[in-house]
Amino acid sequence: MAIETVAPPAARDSNPGPPPRRRNRNRPLWMLAPGGILLVLVILVPLGVALTVSLLDLDQYTLREWTGAPFIAFDNYVEAVTDTALPHAIWVSVGYSALVTVATLPVGLAAALATQQRFKGRALVRSAFLIPYVLPAFVVGTVWRTILMPAGPANSVLGEQHLWLNGPNSYWTLVVVQLWTSWPLLYLLAASGLQSISEEVHEAAALDGAAWWAKLRYVIFPHLRGVLALALIIAFLHNLNSFTLPYVLFGVPAPHDVEVLPVLTYVESFQNFRFGLSAAMAVLSLVLVAIPLSVYLRAVRLNQHEN
Amino acid sequence: MRTDVQRLLPRWVQAAVIAVLLVFVMTPVLYMLFASVNDDLEVARGAFWPTSLHLDNYAKIWSTVELGAGLANSVVVAGSVALVSALVAVATAYVLVRFQFLGRGLILRGLLALQSIPGTLMLLPVFVLFANLSAVLGMQVIGTRWALFVTYLTFALPFSTWVMVTYLRGLPAELDEAARLDGASSWRILRSIIIPLSWPGLVVASIFAFLLGWNDVLFASVMTNPDSRTVAVALQVFGATQEGGAIPIYGQLMASALICALPVVVLYLVFQRFLVGGLTAGGVK
Repeated sequence: MAIETVAPPAARDSNPGPPPRRRNRNRPLWMLAPGGILLVLVILVPLGVALTVSLLDLDQYTLREWTGAPFIAFDNYVEAVTDTALPHAIWVSVGYSALVTVATLPVGLAAALATQQRFKGRALVRSAFLIPYVLPAFVVGTVWRTILMPAGPANSVLGEQHLWLNGPNSYWTLVVVQLWTSWPLLYLLAASGLQSISEEVHEAAALDGAAWWAKLRYVIFPHLRGVLALALIIAFLHNLNSFTLPYVLFGVPAPHDVEVLPVLTYVESFQNFRFGLSAAMAVLSLVLVAIPLSVYLRAVRLNQHEN
Repeated sequence: MRTDVQRLLPRWVQAAVIAVLLVFVMTPVLYMLFASVNDDLEVARGAFWPTSLHLDNYAKIWSTVELGAGLANSVVVAGSVALVSALVAVATAYVLVRFQFLGRGLILRGLLALQSIPGTLMLLPVFVLFANLSAVLGMQVIGTRWALFVTYLTFALPFSTWVMVTYLRGLPAELDEAARLDGASSWRILRSIIIPLSWPGLVVASIFAFLLGWNDVLFASVMTNPDSRTVAVALQVFGATQEGGAIPIYGQLMASALICALPVVVLYLVFQRFLVGGLTAGGVK
């Protein structure tokens, strides 16, 4: 990615001349420098370091002089794929992210449809709907962890002893809590999509005398398809990268059933101190993220006028 | 019928959807609220409704956890990230929106792509680079607020800049082109025309940058020491140490969680209208 960090300073041009917009001079490219330098130093250089480290046998003994750690080419990648929990973690991460994403669709859409028309208290309902999304993930994790602890209110309401934060149930705990905190994003995007449907479309459908579900099915949903598709990709990416919620909810090392990719990578670095191996895992998770991301980037319009 | 043209769901479906979702959303929130004023032992026993009012939970937490220091660290770090990132973002966005140059499309796409880079990929190399920087500078970098500030600032930039790009596109170019014809420098235009006109966008960019710093646990968990610990890490450690402890103090834990959430919720309520627009703009346009 070429961010112009070495942009030449704009030449001071005293005569006004024609609008400089399409001219080569007088473009203040130096204004890109502060942001560009930061992005290069704190994101692009570390990306390069991550790629390098993933090829080294780096652990806590070699960390101090990390550039001198033995070069082992792709051994970390081979080990990550064949001899660690990585394939399992990918399976868990992709599976739960997809489940949550699919589940947010009807919830978010129903919420958007139900709050589209004005009614008394609508502003209040809308604000309430956004609360789970606004709460910091570390607060959401802490609260749900308390609700679901063995002696917590969930079990005392049920009157039975279930383990929610360990064992096979933990997977569904993660799905439900992630759904709880992430569906409002889909709601917001669906609601903004609904607002852009013109009055004429509504009137045409009303004139046809269509039943409400037929109107939704044949008039409203086709209009929302583009917005919803993008919303689903964003939600999926968001779930896939989510670290704080599983980390706070289950702690580390994570229970086997909720050993998601970000937490596994974290543990490999900062608990097991296998830095090289962890970097290889992180690079592989970037490859995984790149698949939905490239779909997203292709779909997004960069310029208003670009169609 | 005429006023009902936009009705999408029959009244009963609408009412049912809203009721179910409100219960789903509010139950955990109300639990946090109730437990925060409940007796610690009652909460540990799984009570939902408070049996007695223990407002003193809110007094005790300040000595139980390092909450005050954590809040101060979070406010200082996230606050300065909010301020600086909005200014850097508006300068970058101004150039991206108003001028054509080689690599512009690449940068715009890059801004979107960088928002999705997994934090876990960046954590180790950023840590390593800061450790090396310590050696070069001969002073501690990891564990300082500066390290967090620089990290959060950078990770906030792609989204902040994107928000400003969408905002500046909505500003008519005639204003700054007229100023340019009058001989104003780009810096002058940015300072006296663009920034004053784009404050709603700046507010959105700042708040999202603030939230990034406030909500982060990943970087703060390895890049802080007990002195520079942010409130997010303080709460996470507090929660994690409750299990197996002699006297679990879940009432105080929920009170602390509420305190941590409060600034964020207040910010959101105050700026709700701007934020919702900014979110959808950053997400889809």
